Amino acid sequence: MNSASTTLLQGTLDLLILKSLVAGDMHGLGVSRRIRQITGGTFDVKPGSLFPALHRMEEEGWISSSWGGSENNRRAKYYRLTKPGRKQLELETKRWGRISWAIAQALEAS
Amino acid sequence: MALFVKARTFLRNLFWTQSVETDLDQEVRSHLEMLTDEKIRAGMSPQEAQRTARIELGGIEQVKEQVREQRLGNYLHAVLSDCRYGLRQLRKNPAFTAVTILTLALGIGATTAIFSVVYGVLLRPLPYPKPNQIVRLWEVSSEGTRMSFADPNFGDVRSQARSLQGLAEYGAWLQSVSGGSGPTRTMTGTVSRDFFSVMGVQPLLGRGFTGEDQRFGAAPTALVSYGYWRQYLGAAEELSAAHLKIDNKSFSVIGVLPPGFRFPDGADVWIPRELLPILPSRTAHNWDVVGRLRDGFTVGTSRAELSAIATQLQHQYGADIQLATVAVEPMREAMTGSVRPALVLLLIASGFLLLIACANVVNLMLAQAATREREVAIRAALGAEPGRLVRQFLTEALILALSGCALGVLTAAWGVDALLRIGSTMLPRLEGVAINFIVLSFSLGITLILAAGLGVFNALRASWNARNALHAASQKQTGSLRGHRLGQLLVLGQLATTLALLAGAGLLGRSLLRVLSVDPGFRTERVITMDLALPAAFDGPDKGPRVQFLSELMTRLRRIPGVEEVGGSSAMPLSTGVTSDGSYAVMNPRQISPRVRDLIRRSAEGSLDSDPALLKDMGAFFNEIFRNPANTGEADYAVVSEGYFRTLRIPLLRGRLFDDRDSFDAPHVALISSSLAKERWPNGDPLGRSLEFGNIDGDLRLLTVVGVVGDVREKSVEAPPRPTIYVNYRQRPQATRHFTVVLQTGADIRSVTLGARETLRELDASVPPHFSTLPQIFSAALETRRFSLILVGIFAGTALLLATAGIYGVTAYSVACRTREFGIRMALGATANEVLLLVLGVGALTTMVGVAIGIAGSFALTRTMQSLLFDVSPGDPITLVCVAVLLAGVSLMACWIPARRATLVDPMIALRYE
Repeated sequence: MNSASTTLLQGTLDLLILKSLVAGDMHGLGVSRRIRQITGGTFDVKPGSLFPALHRMEEEGWISSSWGGSENNRRAKYYRLTKPGRKQLELETKRWGRISWAIAQALEAS
Repeated sequence: MALFVKARTFLRNLFWTQSVETDLDQEVRSHLEMLTDEKIRAGMSPQEAQRTARIELGGIEQVKEQVREQRLGNYLHAVLSDCRYGLRQLRKNPAFTAVTILTLALGIGATTAIFSVVYGVLLRPLPYPKPNQIVRLWEVSSEGTRMSFADPNFGDVRSQARSLQGLAEYGAWLQSVSGGSGPTRTMTGTVSRDFFSVMGVQPLLGRGFTGEDQRFGAAPTALVSYGYWRQYLGAAEELSAAHLKIDNKSFSVIGVLPPGFRFPDGADVWIPRELLPILPSRTAHNWDVVGRLRDGFTVGTSRAELSAIATQLQHQYGADIQLATVAVEPMREAMTGSVRPALVLLLIASGFLLLIACANVVNLMLAQAATREREVAIRAALGAEPGRLVRQFLTEALILALSGCALGVLTAAWGVDALLRIGSTMLPRLEGVAINFIVLSFSLGITLILAAGLGVFNALRASWNARNALHAASQKQTGSLRGHRLGQLLVLGQLATTLALLAGAGLLGRSLLRVLSVDPGFRTERVITMDLALPAAFDGPDKGPRVQFLSELMTRLRRIPGVEEVGGSSAMPLSTGVTSDGSYAVMNPRQISPRVRDLIRRSAEGSLDSDPALLKDMGAFFNEIFRNPANTGEADYAVVSEGYFRTLRIPLLRGRLFDDRDSFDAPHVALISSSLAKERWPNGDPLGRSLEFGNIDGDLRLLTVVGVVGDVREKSVEAPPRPTIYVNYRQRPQATRHFTVVLQTGADIRSVTLGARETLRELDASVPPHFSTLPQIFSAALETRRFSLILVGIFAGTALLLATAGIYGVTAYSVACRTREFGIRMALGATANEVLLLVLGVGALTTMVGVAIGIAGSFALTRTMQSLLFDVSPGDPITLVCVAVLLAGVSLMACWIPARRATLVDPMIALRYE
């Protein structure tokens, strides 16, 4: 499956970023890789979408950032889930559950 | 909490831009490095890893820009940086910036100044409650002439009109009023019952008129203006002691009206109209009328209702009534109708000037475009979105336009002062003319429209040209050739508009010259006028003293050193005061019945105020004699002394002037103007004929024509002379409430004026005089004309200057662009003259087409001027030819200078150019 062709639903990117940060603090590339991993390679988030989203979410207060050393001794900016971020994740998860249930219902209807 | 975080972020984004930017840059770079590391680990060579990583990232700057757009407060940030960038651009080209701002300031300033006058005078609502309900009414004759109302007609309209909630008669005259301090010439309004409720005004202090005050024979009461109360009554809260002496009667001041209320005609004192008798005649047009529409009625519906009433009245009274229909007009329009054409013309003219200024600005921007094209192309290549570029150009245009607007409004503030100074006596409602909120909104509005237009135009043109701008530097020339063609088109428009303005100014100028060459029928040189507002002298016992007073005054004035001639008239030419005109009848003295002879005798001795029966019989008599149109006519009525004709050099054509023979009890005599003689007795001899013109002063004694004098243009210099009947002040002193003494002198005007003032004070200290000179009055009569000529002239001159600069600029720019081409041409053997003609040819073509379009277009402007022209048609060929030649000449001169420069091109230098 060509991952690039799967466009993300509005708002879904936030959910995926928040979810991937539950596993621990990570930098932009890490988030991107983590999302690819947990979606089984369906979603590959490009830097052009990832960074604006990260910065927006930081401005919302859902995640916080700090500079730190990376695996290969490179300096990298690490993102961490904040308390409001966890609450937001819960909210988004519930919302997504409702949506996917509703879509499934709709598709099963004859 | 979240809000706090947001606010902090917002401020950080806005002000700690540097650290935010570094942070972002480092983050994206580290991302790229890690990406590269990842690729290398996966087995790629370092170069290939770097390349793949870059492709995956999609451009560092682009990613950064995407993050920036996402940021809080990004919009504001972008605007600020646009402004910074725009300012830097403008600073880089100080000459361009200064010329652009000045040009815009000129256009916006002129438009703002004129709009502030147009708004203050024409558009501003009247300062009364529900001002749109207030209307003015006139009787209209079957010929369509507007006339004041006669009492019985007013009464009928008032009682029958359902569309009006109130209707009032009013008049205003200058009176000599003695109050707390010395006597002053005060505008006194005489107003009927509903006047103040129609205007929606209540006294600030004291009380208004009540039914008790508003009846014939009531104790005289008066209201005063706020200003009069402060100045002459000491602003006393207690009014019971305040009395005014008007017309030898004492009026108790019962109330003070709120500040600013001065209607009608800047009145300071108001008295009840009911103190004066109601005249039974349906053709005695004595009163102005104002009304207030009832809710739910419009001017249109009211007009329909009132004309139906008028038709019915006409049916009922036939020949005894001149009323054919009723004119209804909103009060505001009625007050300003006379100056509307001039102001509308000026607004159009200033708009034209603004357009011409804008064309110049666009041309300047076009010339600048070449340098901007590369910059725009580079920015576009670096990831700037088209919207962002448009915004950049809009910001720059906005900076320019707003600076122009600010400077323009400052200029306008100064200009409005100057306007008010030259238009002070001509414009009504001047007190409200100022640069106020509405005017500012107006100029800001046009500024924003201009900025949007200029910005979008620039952005479109730049992004259009930017596509090929990066390809090669030599593109510059073809790219700007399109701009050049557009510039040429703009110049065309400028020339056409300028021609229209020049034609307008030319026509106004020619009209003024024509008016000045009109012979008014009298000479103005060295004549001093002295206006007097005297008490009424209609009653029998008052007549003798009035004659004595006037005779004594003129005799004593004659004795002042330097005074050569003295005369007087109740109806000075060109004065804005009261004019009296009415119907006269030619009578045969031998056919007068004894009943009429008895009536004439009663009228000579009696008093209209105290004898209602006389008033009634008189009305019946006039109805009878005016019924035969063959013997009646309309004429102006003037009470004069014989010195009046000598002072103003009005020639005696036949017969004699008045003299001492014509005493009070001698047969009454009259002089008639030459136009009246021609109209009434085209072939016969007017001398010795008898006229009845007693409806002006209530004295029915017949007037015998003893002389014919030259025609005088009384109402205005422009209007043809009106038939006039002059009576002798010794015999008919009644209608001399307004009397103007004229003094001819070769001596110093100031000293004669002082002497005259002193002479009058010795004789009667209660009459304050007003001095002027006939040349001043004559010049004031031409003020509207001069006002519009000066302004349209200034606009046309400025337009000419701007258009010249425009065509010069475009030609110079094209010469600069084609330097190389000219070099090649000359290297190939073209002579200097051929090159000169090449450049001049384009300029001449543009000029000719522009002038041709301008001539066609000027009709649009000049047709709106019809009412301002005198003896010149809007399409006057001489004016059009003159301005066309002027414009073409100036324009060709402007082309010639750069064309000449083109011939001086050294082929060698030109070929190495660029």
